[in-house]
Amino acid sequence: MSDVEISTTVKRRDFLNGIATAAAVGAGAAIMPKPAQAAVTGLKPHYGMLIDLRRCIGCHACSVSCKAEFDVPLGATRSWVEYVEKGDYPDVSRSFLPRLCNQCSKPACVDVCPTGATWKRKADGVVVVDSDVCIGCKYCLLACPYDARFINPVTGSADKCDFCLHRVEKGLEPACVNACIGDARIFGDLNDPSSKISREIATNPVTVLRPEQGTEPNVYYIAADHSDEYTAAAQGRYVRIDTHRRQQERK
Amino acid sequence: MNAELLWGLPVIGYLFLAGVGAGALTVSASVLLRGGGGGFAGQHYSIARYGAFAAPLPLMIGCGLLIFELGSFEAGNWFKWINLYKTINLSPMSIGTWLLTGFIGISLLYAYTFLPKSPGLGGNKDSLRRGLAWVSVPLGIATAVYTGVLLGAMPARPFWNSPILAMLFLVSSLSTGVAIILLLKAVFPGKAKDEARTPMVAEYFKQRDNSAYILTASDLMLIGFELLVIFLFIMYAHLTVGAVKESVSVIQFGGSLSVLFWFGVVVVGLLIPAVIELYYVIPKLLNHQPFSVPLGVEIIVPIAILIGGFLLRYVIVVAGQITGPIGL
Repeated sequence: MSDVEISTTVKRRDFLNGIATAAAVGAGAAIMPKPAQAAVTGLKPHYGMLIDLRRCIGCHACSVSCKAEFDVPLGATRSWVEYVEKGDYPDVSRSFLPRLCNQCSKPACVDVCPTGATWKRKADGVVVVDSDVCIGCKYCLLACPYDARFINPVTGSADKCDFCLHRVEKGLEPACVNACIGDARIFGDLNDPSSKISREIATNPVTVLRPEQGTEPNVYYIAADHSDEYTAAAQGRYVRIDTHRRQQERK
Repeated sequence: MNAELLWGLPVIGYLFLAGVGAGALTVSASVLLRGGGGGFAGQHYSIARYGAFAAPLPLMIGCGLLIFELGSFEAGNWFKWINLYKTINLSPMSIGTWLLTGFIGISLLYAYTFLPKSPGLGGNKDSLRRGLAWVSVPLGIATAVYTGVLLGAMPARPFWNSPILAMLFLVSSLSTGVAIILLLKAVFPGKAKDEARTPMVAEYFKQRDNSAYILTASDLMLIGFELLVIFLFIMYAHLTVGAVKESVSVIQFGGSLSVLFWFGVVVVGLLIPAVIELYYVIPKLLNHQPFSVPLGVEIIVPIAILIGGFLLRYVIVVAGQITGPIGL
């Protein structure tokens, strides 16, 4: 269970402290361990995800667990897996590209929100939407370069991946990370240099999606195939991208 | 490409109507102020009156249309858009909300000052009218520019993310504003018996024909500017690299929107009206002959300009959504 990137010793100590405090005051409410890295680095956590595509088999377990976790309405996706088929026989490749909200450091969606319904949390860097405030104007859907947002037909407001905050706040890892059978997804604190995600990012060549958009994404990939129709056409190669979404084409 | 349109006809209709209303208010207030003062509230009172009446309604209908496009409205929360008024931030839509609200209020008040057919009738509202006109010019321009900034604020939509898009919307807005004024003048010329009623009303009709000439000539100039802005928009997009170049190709020859753009927007909406207007403006401009336009032409030309203005919004709103960043 080294999945949530928290140094385990500190975690245990905090947890025990929590229990002790709870016992001392006799309160029944369990006090969850605070993200331990704060104690180590003095910084607030800054959550990110690293997806190692050498370990991804395109099984959609992440998509399905996400659907189940949030009861995502039919036709909408918070998390999905794209297939990239490239080349002409016999020189072909097929790779997978799991997608989710990039929880950008400079989120384009937040900049355009007219009601302040979406913002980047200072506590952990996760971009969230308040469905009670959001009016569903779709401005953020258009502004997002990753097509990560959709209008939830039930609430009528914008919706997207939030790194499973309800789980993370309880010390669990996001549902997609938990479900990944190949350990391709690593979730953790980018501000903590000793976290697994920080160490993996430091020791591997990593890329982000559409860096030219200036959004500074916090979802990193190892060995991602960034091909699309345009780049493949420029190389004179066949490419087919299967988004597995209602939106057949990447936006 | 078959990408889903997130902003469909309600938004397109809104952008068009807001442009018409903002243009009508700007033109009305400008000609009123340009027309001098005196006891008759300036020589262009009559034509400014059409613009004043044309401004508020399109804005109100347009804003109403926007509500139908909201996800919250579709989900049954009919009044959730009130949340727009609970805050103000640097989102163009938030600034635009307050701007439009101010616009509707000011333009209604401005229209109220024009209720009497002649400035001398119905009490003296002259100072209020002039004060509102001074506010209306910047307000109308700001509203027209805002509709372009709204679309231009997103780097993820390369077709829209151009500094000249707001300029294009402004020029088109003024042009369609002139068109709606000329159209209203042609459709509601006023009853002939009114002419004999008072000298003031007779003056009203006399001045109106002169104002119509000035407006038609201005419209010709605006169409020229619009063609220039369209040329610059396409040229600079074409001369750059990457997503912007790819996105503008949808309105270039062979693109999926090229016929609608070049035939609908440029030929029907700009070139044909420009040639017809030129035909009627030239005699007065060069030879000081009287300016007279047949009723049919008076109606057809503004309608063509309005159709062009609508199709411009249509093409731009659709083009921005079926194109996007390239590479991943």
